[in-house]
Amino acid sequence: MRNALLIAVREFLGNAKTRGFWFGILLVPLLGIIASQVPVFLARKGTPTRHFALVDATEASRGGQVVLEHLQRAEQRREYFHFREWLGPRWASANPLPGIDRANPSWRELQERVAPLLKADAGRFSPPEPLHRRVPLPKGLEWRGELSEFESRLRDWMRDDLQLHVEGSPEPVPLFAVAILLDGATPGAPPVLRFWSANQADQRLRDRMLEALSRDHRKREYARLGMDPETVSRVEAIEAQVIDLNPRKAAGEERVGVADQLRQWAPSAFVYLLWLAVFSVSQMLLNSLIEERSNRILEVLLSSVTPLELMVGKLIGVAAVGVVMALAWIGSMVLVTVGMIHTSGAAAVAPDSLVSRLPLELATLLGDSWLLPAFGLYFILGYLFYSGLILALGSTCSDLKEAQNFTGVITLFMMIPLVSILFIPRDPNGPVATLLSWIPPYTPFVMMNRVAAGPPMRDVVGTLLLLVLSDVVVLWGCARIFRTAVLRTGQPASLAQLARWVVGRF
Amino acid sequence: MSLSLEGGGTTLWSMSAALELRQVSKSFGHFHAVRELSMSVPRGAVYGFLGPNGAGKTTSLRMILGMLLPDSGELSVLGSPSAMAVRDRVGYLPEEKGLYRNMTASAVIAYFATLKGLSAARARVRARELLNRYGLGDFADKKVETLSKGMGQKVQVLASIAHDPELVLFDEPFSGLDPVNQEVLEEVLEDLKTRGCTILFSTHVMAHAERLCDRLLVLGGGRRLFEGTPSEARALLPVVVTLETSGGQPIPEGLPGVREAVSEGLGRWRLELQPGASSSALLEACFEKSLRLKRFEVREPDLHEVFVHLVGPAAREASLR
Repeated sequence: MRNALLIAVREFLGNAKTRGFWFGILLVPLLGIIASQVPVFLARKGTPTRHFALVDATEASRGGQVVLEHLQRAEQRREYFHFREWLGPRWASANPLPGIDRANPSWRELQERVAPLLKADAGRFSPPEPLHRRVPLPKGLEWRGELSEFESRLRDWMRDDLQLHVEGSPEPVPLFAVAILLDGATPGAPPVLRFWSANQADQRLRDRMLEALSRDHRKREYARLGMDPETVSRVEAIEAQVIDLNPRKAAGEERVGVADQLRQWAPSAFVYLLWLAVFSVSQMLLNSLIEERSNRILEVLLSSVTPLELMVGKLIGVAAVGVVMALAWIGSMVLVTVGMIHTSGAAAVAPDSLVSRLPLELATLLGDSWLLPAFGLYFILGYLFYSGLILALGSTCSDLKEAQNFTGVITLFMMIPLVSILFIPRDPNGPVATLLSWIPPYTPFVMMNRVAAGPPMRDVVGTLLLLVLSDVVVLWGCARIFRTAVLRTGQPASLAQLARWVVGRF
Repeated sequence: MSLSLEGGGTTLWSMSAALELRQVSKSFGHFHAVRELSMSVPRGAVYGFLGPNGAGKTTSLRMILGMLLPDSGELSVLGSPSAMAVRDRVGYLPEEKGLYRNMTASAVIAYFATLKGLSAARARVRARELLNRYGLGDFADKKVETLSKGMGQKVQVLASIAHDPELVLFDEPFSGLDPVNQEVLEEVLEDLKTRGCTILFSTHVMAHAERLCDRLLVLGGGRRLFEGTPSEARALLPVVVTLETSGGQPIPEGLPGVREAVSEGLGRWRLELQPGASSSALLEACFEKSLRLKRFEVREPDLHEVFVHLVGPAAREASLR
C-alpha cells in the first residue's frame, strides 16, 4: 500500500504541475464567465449605433411621432439600466435605492436624488452610445411622395453600401435601415411599416417600431370602440396568481421557492461537472500510462511494485487530481457567481431580489443537500469504471495515437449521459431515466441527475450496488489485462486475446 | 544450505548463492523463450549473462524479478522464491531505458529509491550523494529532458542502485553509452562489487564480460550453452600456435600437446593444442628437435570467439525463426 500511495503522490504532483491541469481548473469558471458575460458585453459594446432614416407618409396615424417617442423611451430605459449597474458598487448607503417612476425612468433625475448617498470617489455616470440614431435622408434620396419611385432610388443607394456623414461622427457611417411608414390601405386599417435593411440578423429596430405602431393602433381602436385605452392597458396587465407547491416538502413548508428551483436544476450542472471530471481525468490517466509505456518507465516501476500496486496508485493519484479539479470548479463557480453579483452591484441595488439571494441560496444548497456527497460518490464510482477500462486498453497500446482509437469508442459511449442531462430532470422517474440508471456505465450520471427528484429507494440502492459490483468486476478484469499487457510490445491485442488474459495465466 | 517449502515439497537452496534458477522454462504461445534454464549466481559475484538477440535473457531477467511467472521450474532470489518479496534488496536496470522527463535528475533517483523502501529524506540525500560521486552533481536539479542520452542513462543506473541493493540485474547496461560513460559505469560496477553486491548483467560486448565478470552464462535459443568462469569459457577453444621454420624445414611428428597441425605453406604451420597442453612444453620440444624457428606465436582464444563458437548455430536458428 505504501508503494501505491507513493505512486499516487507522484501521479498527483506530476499532473498538478502540468499546464493541462491548471487549464482544466480554470476552464469551467472561464467558460462560465464567457457564457454569461460575453453576450452581455457584445450586446453593450459589440453592437455599434445603428443609423436609420425615417420616412413618415402617414397622416391619420401620426406614425413617425409614435415611433420616435417609443424609441426615445426605450433608449431612456436602457440608459437607466446602465446607470443602475454603474451605481451598484458606488452605492454607500445600507438602504435600498429610492423609488423611481418605472414607466418613465430617468437616470439624470435619479442621479441628482442619490448623489449624496454615493461613495466619495463615485465620479459621474456617462450614458452609453445610443442603440439607434435617426439621421436625415441622404442627398438625392429625398421623399417626393411617390413610393415606388422612392424605393427604386433607395434600393440602388443601399445596394451600393454607400455611407453618409452625420453630425458628431468624424467618420462616414453606414445607413443601417430606412423605415417607410404608410397609413393602412383602408380607413381604420393598421399602419404599414416598410423596413429596408440589408441586415436581417439585428431585428431590434424593426421590432421596436412595429411594437410602437401596433400598440398605438390598438389604443385608437379601443377608443373607437368606446373603451378607455388606459383601462384596457391596466386590465391587460392583470395576471393570475400562481403558487407552486411541492407535496414532498414538510407540512407548512410546501411552497416552492428559489432554492427549490435551484435544487431541481443544480444536479444537471453537477452531472455536467461529473462528466467533465470523469472524462478529463480518464484522459490524464491514459496520457500518464502512455508516457510511462513509451518512455519505458513501466519496466523499472514493475521491478519495484506489483502491477496491482501500480494500477491502484495511478487510479488514486489521478482520482485526487479529479477531486481537486472538481472542487476547484464548484468553488470557483460559486466565487464567480458571487463576484459577478457583487461587482455588478445588483445585491446592493435590490437586496430582496433573486440575484442578491443567489450566493446564500447556493451556499444553502451545497451545505444542506445530498448533492455534494452524491457527486463525490458517483465521481469515484464512475471514475473507477471508466478509468479501469482506459488503463486496461491503454496498457495494450504503445503510443497515444493507437490508444485514442480505443478510447474514441469509450468517449462515444460516454456521450449518451451528456445528451440525457436536459431531458432527465423533466421526467426524472420516467421509464427512460429509470432504464438508463440501471446501466452501470450510465448510473453515476443519470442517478446524479435524478437525485433531486427523490427517486425510489429501490433505484438508489439497487443501481448503487450494481455499480459497485460492476466496478469490482471491471477493475478485476482490467487488472488482469493490465498486468499481462503492460510489458508487452508489438501490435495491440485482439479482443480474443484480452479475454484470454482476463481468464488465463500470465 | 537453506530450506524453502514450495507446493508441499522441500527445495534445498544454496546459502552461498544470491540467485538460483532450476529447470526454469517459459513459453509465449508456441515460442519457447527459455528452456529448462538452471543457473547459480554466487553472492558477491559479477555474473555475465551472454546471448544473442532472442536468446531469452530479458525473459529470464523478468522471471527473476517476478514480472513473469515461469511455466515450470523454480527460482530463488536472495533466499526467497519471489523477487517481489525481496524487491527492496534488488536493483534493476532494463534494456530499454526511460525516465520521467519532467522530473529533475535528483527527484527521479529519489523517487525510485523511495519505491525501494528508503524514506523520502534519506532518498533525497542518497540521490545527491550518487550524482556527486559519479560526476553529475551539477545536473542534480536539471530536468531529465534537458540531459544528454548518456547522462540520462547514468541517472537511470544510479536510480537502480540508490537503495543499496544486495543484488542488481543490469540488462545491457553499456548499450548506447560512449566510451567515457562506459568507464563510469564500470566504476559503478567496481564500487558495487567492492561493497559485496552481487551483479548480474547481460551484454553483447565481450570485452566488458571478459574484464568484469567472475562467471558467465551463455544462453542461446532459450537454452544454457555454457556456465563457468571466463577462463573456463576460453578453454572451450584450443590455444593456437603459429609456427614458422627457416627454409621451409618440416615439423617433426609427435610434438607434445598438438591436436592438429595444418600447413599454411612456406614452412608456416598452424598448430591447435590439446586442452590443457602447455605452449612452453611445445617450444621446448621444438628446440630439442633442432627446429630452426623464425616465428613462434601463441594465441589464446578470446571470449568473442568462444561466444561465436557457442551461439553461432543458436543465433542462426533464432534469426531464421
